[in-house]
Formats: sequence, structure tokens, C-alpha cells
Amino acid sequence: MLTKDIELPEGLPVAHMRSLSSIVISDLHLGYEGMMARNGVLSPKINLLRIKKTISKALDATGANRVIVDGDIKNEFSKVEMEEFNELYDFITYVKSTGAELVLIKGNHDNFVERYGNAFGLKIYRQEAAFGEYLFFHGEEMPGSSASIKTLVMGHEHPAIGVYNKSDRKEKLKCFLYGKYMRYNLLVLPAMNYFSTGTEVNMEPKGNLLAPIFRKLDVDSMRAIAIGYGSTEDFGKVGRLRNLA
Amino acid sequence: MISYAGKPFSDAESMAVLNPYVKDWFMKNFGELTPPQKYAFKLISEGKNLLITAPTGSGKTISGFLSIISRLFDYSLEGKLEDKVYCVYVSPLRALNNDVYRNLTVPLEQIYAEIVKDKGEDILKGNMRKVTIGVRTGDTTQQERRKMLLKPPNILVTTPESLAIILNSRKFMEHLSGLEYVIIDELHELANNKRGVHLSLSLERLKEEVAGRISLIGLGATLYPLDEAAKFLVGSAASSTEDCVIVDASWSKKLDVVTRSPVRDLIYTDGQKIEDEMYKMVNQIIKENKSTLIFTNTRSGTERVVFNLKRRFGYGEDIAAHHSSLSRESRMEVEDLLKKGALKCAVSSTSLELGVDIGAIEDVVQLGSPKSVTRAIQRIGRAGHSYKATAKGEMIALDRDDLVECTIMLDAALKKHLDSFKVPEAPLDVLAQHIIGMSITRKWNVDEAFSLVKKAYSYRDLPRKDFDALLNYLAGNYVGLESRRVYGKIWYDEKERMFGRRGKMAQVIYMLNLGTIPDEVAINVFDLSKKWIGNIEEEFLTKLKPGDIFTLGGRLYRFEYAKGMKCFVSEAKTSAPTIPPWFSEQLPLSFELAEEIGKFRGSFASVIRASIKKRKISRVSKSTKMPTEVKNALAQLPMDENAKDAVFRYFLEQILFAKEVPNDKLMLVEQTHDIDGGKNYLVFHALFGRRVNDTLSRLFGIILGEMLDMDVGILVGDNGFMLELERESRLSQKAMKELFSNVLSSDIVSTIRLNIRKTEMMKRRFRHVAGRSFMILKNYKGWKISVGRQQVNSQLLLNAVEEIDPDFPVLKETYREVMEDVMDVPRAKEVVERLSKGSLKYKFIITPTPSPFAHKTLTFGHADVIMMKNKHDYLKELNRLVLKRING
Repeated sequence: MLTKDIELPEGLPVAHMRSLSSIVISDLHLGYEGMMARNGVLSPKINLLRIKKTISKALDATGANRVIVDGDIKNEFSKVEMEEFNELYDFITYVKSTGAELVLIKGNHDNFVERYGNAFGLKIYRQEAAFGEYLFFHGEEMPGSSASIKTLVMGHEHPAIGVYNKSDRKEKLKCFLYGKYMRYNLLVLPAMNYFSTGTEVNMEPKGNLLAPIFRKLDVDSMRAIAIGYGSTEDFGKVGRLRNLA
Repeated sequence: MISYAGKPFSDAESMAVLNPYVKDWFMKNFGELTPPQKYAFKLISEGKNLLITAPTGSGKTISGFLSIISRLFDYSLEGKLEDKVYCVYVSPLRALNNDVYRNLTVPLEQIYAEIVKDKGEDILKGNMRKVTIGVRTGDTTQQERRKMLLKPPNILVTTPESLAIILNSRKFMEHLSGLEYVIIDELHELANNKRGVHLSLSLERLKEEVAGRISLIGLGATLYPLDEAAKFLVGSAASSTEDCVIVDASWSKKLDVVTRSPVRDLIYTDGQKIEDEMYKMVNQIIKENKSTLIFTNTRSGTERVVFNLKRRFGYGEDIAAHHSSLSRESRMEVEDLLKKGALKCAVSSTSLELGVDIGAIEDVVQLGSPKSVTRAIQRIGRAGHSYKATAKGEMIALDRDDLVECTIMLDAALKKHLDSFKVPEAPLDVLAQHIIGMSITRKWNVDEAFSLVKKAYSYRDLPRKDFDALLNYLAGNYVGLESRRVYGKIWYDEKERMFGRRGKMAQVIYMLNLGTIPDEVAINVFDLSKKWIGNIEEEFLTKLKPGDIFTLGGRLYRFEYAKGMKCFVSEAKTSAPTIPPWFSEQLPLSFELAEEIGKFRGSFASVIRASIKKRKISRVSKSTKMPTEVKNALAQLPMDENAKDAVFRYFLEQILFAKEVPNDKLMLVEQTHDIDGGKNYLVFHALFGRRVNDTLSRLFGIILGEMLDMDVGILVGDNGFMLELERESRLSQKAMKELFSNVLSSDIVSTIRLNIRKTEMMKRRFRHVAGRSFMILKNYKGWKISVGRQQVNSQLLLNAVEEIDPDFPVLKETYREVMEDVMDVPRAKEVVERLSKGSLKYKFIITPTPSPFAHKTLTFGHADVIMMKNKHDYLKELNRLVLKRING
């Protein structure tokens, strides 16, 4: 348990809010292999396959009945490629088949997704959405504020940490970041996309981080909770992980 | 049927098959036939498939070509010669292509002129034409290609890659409809790798496309086994319907070779002194000969030697370096100077061991072991240009194992025992490319295509399910229908059992991406005015800091800065490099040579043992004399007195110290520790060559690791391998027995497979295979993916592919390549079987300090890290401990 209410299912890039009976995921970038293929790299379609497996495991483990996608459900900025559409359709159908409700928060890659809202009967939020004490927003802009909100939840950054193993080889692990921003708790979700290995927040110069919120808060003050090899492990403050090499 | 040529034909018989003008030209220019020619002229004129092996300077090229040229002039005189390609010549080297083109243009002109002179100008009014020759390689311009399309040459000189492109050029293929001959040169450089397998599939496709029968002529230097090479040349279908005659003239050149040690005592002589003596020895050889060719095993070694010879003995422009990192122009300049006899000495890593004509070299010096008999012969064969001359060669070795190795290598060369090559077994990535190529040409029935592929020797045993899996992969059946437009390389109708071309892009993508040579990450080096100087390896660049001085092309440069894949330098004013460029370029010891060394160890050790007993020798010192029987045992071996003395002492020390000498029938496992008593070492004295040792070391390492539940360090060498353990985990006899029994009962392939999955090598090789299989398109829609980017993508791809299907063709081929082409799992399995059966024994001993024969393995891995000098000091210290134990 990360907090009294937030649970991180073991080894998964998923957070569970008990009070909302919801799991939240982010940065799926459906259609990613299509983009790779157009650049000459022909990968099997594994991203969606993995995402479905992960959701299934997470729903089983938590018993949640709502899936919140915290932005960037798809990959292309400007249009919806046919493969992307097919994957979106497949994804939405899949979540519905589990009986869970699907909620989308729009990310910077998510132009045109509104089109599917009515057709599939989805709730789509343009910028951010408040549920209970939580505010979900994608992260490419600053969040709004509200007195009832205690915790902010974002994606966008694709956080990871770089650590060294026994044989001195660097390994990259996707991670959650958890810390304080003003009076709020802030949870940053790792990217769910298979191919996004993430940005090593403990190695990257702070100025290179994408989300504007990191201009206002020091990433070093946040805790990195890494996932990999089927488990989840708290590595402590990011600042402590800097200058490891 | 593969058969060996019997007695050579008489000169009269050979000359009788030639056109009179061609015959006159030959007699005027050569006067007599060389050994291969005594077979080739007649056999080729009879349309036989022929494999000719012969050393450099034995008129190999003319052997292959003369009967063909003669036939073409016959056609010309009969007025039947058309603008068609009658003969295709393929060699792996562009430089060699240009050589052949130049060397044939002159005779073609001369013979033609002679005919015109003889018959009078009138003959030109008839249909008498010149016999033409043309080159088509990656260097050929668009314009030249268009010209060739309008007027094709009668003899087309090309590379394997360009031939593959030609196969898919509809229009040009029309010119090949009357093809009669294909010559493959430098067969020894093709038969053992994927490039050659690629060519062999091209040949089968070519045979299928051309209506008439094609005679295949293979030319090569020393290679073994010849049957295998002949099968590679003519294909597996040929055995029933066609013959191949083998003309083995490899040994027509005599060898005069010796292994030398620069000093008497390689252990206690100061490192600097050994180096001084070595350069003195080399300089002496250079002075005594008109021209000398020196081989080092690494590019950095080449640089170092050139630098030292210049500095020590004041050589100037009369000494030059030649290696693959130098620009093409620099290399051609060196070759030209050599041909003209303008160089006193050339120093090369491997680049001069191949084909290109370099004129008369008087002596070849090899510094350090070249690790294979075949390579040694190829290199030494560079000396004495004519086949009648004797090839003179010297190997200079600087440590005692190298002395043994070089001696046994030369002895094997004199006895004509070569190490064998192996054709890669049915590589799926190469096949994937050809299936795409075939699909572009026309529609194929699957069975028809499968039987064509199986005609290529490498694919004779290709399982049908692998072929079907490839078709499915190429059809894009691993993704949904909507994506196959992009993923699919071929159209494939599983029900109708047909496949063919898919989309308009197929041809372009194919032409831009075909080939088997992976992109290497080479860093280009420029001076500050942006003039290109050469290149270095990425690994070397990572070691440079600004201000460091290194040698390239025999000159000193100061490293200034690097940007992306470029490195900028300035001319250095100082006289010494600050960075010794150690690379891991070391060549692996071959299996056969290792076995020979094992046999020698066994027999020589028993001579010494008997001698010790008889003379009651129990100590070694400077004054220890070599007993007569030992002298006799070494008398027949190609080694100098220093070398004999050093090798004798080496064995004597081993016997007195450890009692046991590992050999071809005994794998010795020695538990010992380092000088400071820190780590605990298990040294496996194993003489099976580095590729087998690589496999065995992983196997033993993994299984011991599981037994002890800890990480085991692994170090692989040529004479064995070593497992490194923590000090407290010493093994008992019982534990060692358990280790062996566990290894013998293990599933070798799956154990190794699991192990290599985690390695960097696997990732890099997967990138190569994915590129060859067109899963990563290096050139796509006018954009190029950089190697760095490919590497990043391929790691993700590897994981993805594995998760989707562990038997995915691209993944399967990567494992095959690593296990069979990089390592040698099949032979490692044989070794384990021998251990099981008891025809190979093992013995476990515990030594207080490493035994002499373990020293090389102990320091082998250090080669990259510590400098020669430190290594020498370390060895000296190890030896001092040995002598202390023996002499008390």
C-alpha cells in the first residue's frame, strides 16, 4: 500500500484507488507498432496484448470496477491511423467485456478521440477529472485546483530510474513517482506502453523533464517506486539515486 | 558425383583444346602451364564443373578463364558472338574484380588484334567481334549500368550482392539467357559464411532462370574438406545428375617455414629486452630480403609495428601499413607500391591475406600465432610469387604457448593437415531475403520453391516446417490483416500453396536492403580541415580523452573531440602514443589445431617423463641441458634453437610441478588461486579451440553456479577456460565429481540457450539477423535508420518477438547463428559425449600456485586490460612461484 487508499498491485504499472474502486493507467500509445512499421521496424503487435493482460491481472487483484486512462491512450498526434482505430476499438471492447467502466482523460496525443465517446458510450474528459479526493490529469499542462482535492495523479512523463546491477551494468526500470506538490500529494504513473522504456529521472538533467509541474517542484524530493521482474520495490528518494555511476 | 582429378593432361592435350590465336597468345606470354592449368584447360573445355584450389601465383585466374575466352573467340570467328553475357565471374572483393578486369582486358585486346592482323581488316566486315568484359559492383554508376543494359559484356565481373540485384532486374536477365559459365573466385572466403550461402541461393535461382546448362568453376586457396567445398559449389542436387571434378593444386608451392623465439628465456628476460630483440630479428629479416610482408593479428598491432620499425631503424616511406580501417585509396596505393617492388616492407593485420595481386614478396613474417593452419598457409603463401618459388615464412612468438602453437601449426602445414571450414546450416535470414527476391520475379508454387531452395547445399536438410514458418513470417501473418499492407513482404495464399510479389514497393525495398554484411559501428576520423583519415572502433573511441595520442595508418594523431559518429584529430608533434590500442580483435584458436597441440603435449610429455626417470632430473635451472632423446623428439619440428629450449623447459616445469600434462585424451582440472591468494580458480585445461571452450566454459560455469548457488566468473582462453570462485568455496574431489556428472547429464542446447539470451552478443546478433530478414529495414522510404537506432529498436523487438512466439524464424536464426557460427555447440556436445564414454578422461588436481600450463589462461583475459609489460611481470611472478616449489 502506498497510502491508506492507494494500492500498487505487485509488478504492474497500475495504481488502485480503493475509495473509487478504480484502477488508473496511463500512456498506452495504442498504434505504436504501426508508427514503428512506417519507419521500417516491423514489430509484432505486442503492446495491446500486454495491456490487456495487465488490466486483467489488475482487475483480478483489486476487484475494481472502473478503469481510468490518464491520457495518451493512442500514439499519433494529428490523425487516427486505421491500425490505431482498430486497436482502440479492440481495447474499448475488451474493457467493456470485463464489466468495468472506462473513463478517458485526454492527453496530448489524443486528438479526435471524442469521436468515439458517443459511439462507445465512454466518458471522456478534455483536460482533467476529479473523482472523490483525486484529480486526474495527463500532465502536459498544470492541474487546476480545488479545495476538495488531496491527491493529484498524472502520466505524461514516462518516469523510470537507472540503477546498476551486480556486474555494473546499467538497468532501466519503469517507476511511479510519489511526493508532495504544494499541499497536494502527487502520484506520477509509469507509461504502460511496452516500447516506452521511460526517462531516467535520476540521470536526466532536471530541465529536460517534460511536464511543466517539474519546473515547480524538485523531482529529487519524490520517491521512486520501481516495477520490474514481476515485483514492485520502493527505491526511496530520487535525489538519493542521483550520481550512482 | 564428386571426384578428384587424376593425372594431369599432357601439355599437348591441354593446348589442343584452345583456339589457335588464344593458344599463341598463351605460349607467347607464359610459355608453360602451371599445375592447375594442366587440368583446367581441358576439363573446362569439356564443360565439366570444376573446383580448383591452388596457391597465389599459380595462374589460377587464367586456369579458370582461358578455355572460356577460347570458346568466345571461336564464337567470334564463326560470326556467332552476340551482345550477351556468356560468363559471370563473382568474387567477394571489389578490388579483386578490378584486378581481374584489368588483367583480362589486355589479353582480350591482344588476341583480337592478332586475329585482325592475321586475317586482314576484311574479317571485320563479317560478323567478327571483340570479346568484351565489364565490371558491375556497388561502385558502378547508374550511367554505366544503363550502358551495360544496352550493350552487355560477354564476361561480366561482379560481386555476390550485385549478382543478387541482377537476378531481380528483368531486363538485364534477358542478357543472361545464354549464360554458359559461372566462375566463383576466393571460394574459401565464401563457403564458410552467410555471404557465401546467399550466393549459393543466387546460383540456384540463376540455374533455374537460364535455359541451358551452366558450367560452374570454383577457384580457391587452401581449404578443407574439399568435398564439402565442391558440394557447396555445385549444390546438393548435383550429386545425382552432375559431376564436379576437384583439382587440388594447393600444395604446388613448397614451404620453408620456422618458428622463432627472439630470446632464449622468454620468462626471465626483461620485457623491454624481448621487444628489442624481436624488432632486431624483424629488422634483420627485412634487410636480408628484397621485400617482406609482416602479419600482425590486429590493426592496432599493425600500427604499433610500423611505428616501431620507423622509430627504431629509421625507415621512412619504404614501410607501410595496410589494414581494413585505412581508406580504400591508401590501401590501393600500398598494393600498387608492393607490386612495383617499391616497398621494402608492408605490415598488415588480415587485409593482405586475400586475393589481390601484390607481386613478389620474398619473406612473410607472422608476429604471434595466426590461430589456424589454413590462415597460416594463406599468409605464408603470399611469399614467393611464382608457384615454382618456395614460400618462405617465419613465425615469431613471444610466449611459450605461442611457440608450441606456432610450431605445431607449421608442422601441420608441412604435413598438409588443414583445419576444416563449415558451411552455415540453412540460415533462415538469408533464405528470407531470397524468398522475397523470388516472389518479385514471378508467382511460385510453394513446393516448387521449396525444392529449388533445397538444391543449395546449405539448405539440403531444411525442414519443411521452417520454410513454411518463413513464408508465414514474410506474408506478415504475425500481425492482423489490416497491417499486412506494411508488414507483408510477399503475397502468400496458404490454401492455393502459392506465393508471389506484394505491392509496388517490394522491389525497391528489396534492392535497397539486400545483402548479408551487417552495419558495423565504425567511427570516422577526420583532421580539423574535415579531411577523412580512417576509422576506429566505437569501443576505442570510448577510451579516448581529449589530448590523447594514438596511431592510425602508421602516423600519430592527437584526439581533439568527437561528435556523433565522427572523431576529430590533429597531427601530433610528439613521438609516442599515450593510448595503447588493445582491442578484442584476437582470433580464436581452431578446433583442429588445438587437437594437434593436445597430441603433441601427450607425446612430448612422455618423452620428457622417460628422460626424467632415466637421468633422475628433479630440478630446473639455467644450466639444465636438453637431453639427447628430447633433442631428437624436437629435431623434425620447424622451430629454432631458442624455441626448442623454451618449449623443453616449459614442459619440464609442468611435469616436475604438477605431475600431469593435459593432452588430447586428458582434460586436466586444476584448482588453484591467484598470487595474492585471493580468488579461487578452477582452470580447465581443454584443447578444443576457443569456440568450443566458449561453449564448455558457459556450461560448466552455469552448472557449478547452480550447485553452489552463487555467481561464477568465467574466463575463456585458447588453451582452456577458467571459473572464478570466492576463496572460501573450494571444491572437494566429491564436488568435482558431482559437477562433471551434472554436466554430462545436462541438456546442453537448452542450458546454453538460456545463458546466451541475457548476453549483449545475443542483442547485437539479433539486430543483424533482423536486418537480414527485413524485420528492420535499414533503408526504407528514402530514410536510413542509424545503427544506434537499430540497436535500440532491436532490443525491444527481441523481447516482443520472444513473447509472441519463441520459435519465430528471426529469433530461431539468431540462436542458431550464436550457437553454431559464433560458438561451437555441436562440437562441445561431442566433447561431452567423449567424456561420458571415457575416450576423454578428466583429472582433478589441487595446486598451491597455478601450474605453468595454466599461466596463459590466467592472463588471457587480461590482454585487453593490462599492458604487455604488466602481463609479462605477472607471468614472471607466476613462474618464480613454480620454480620455488620445484627447486625448493
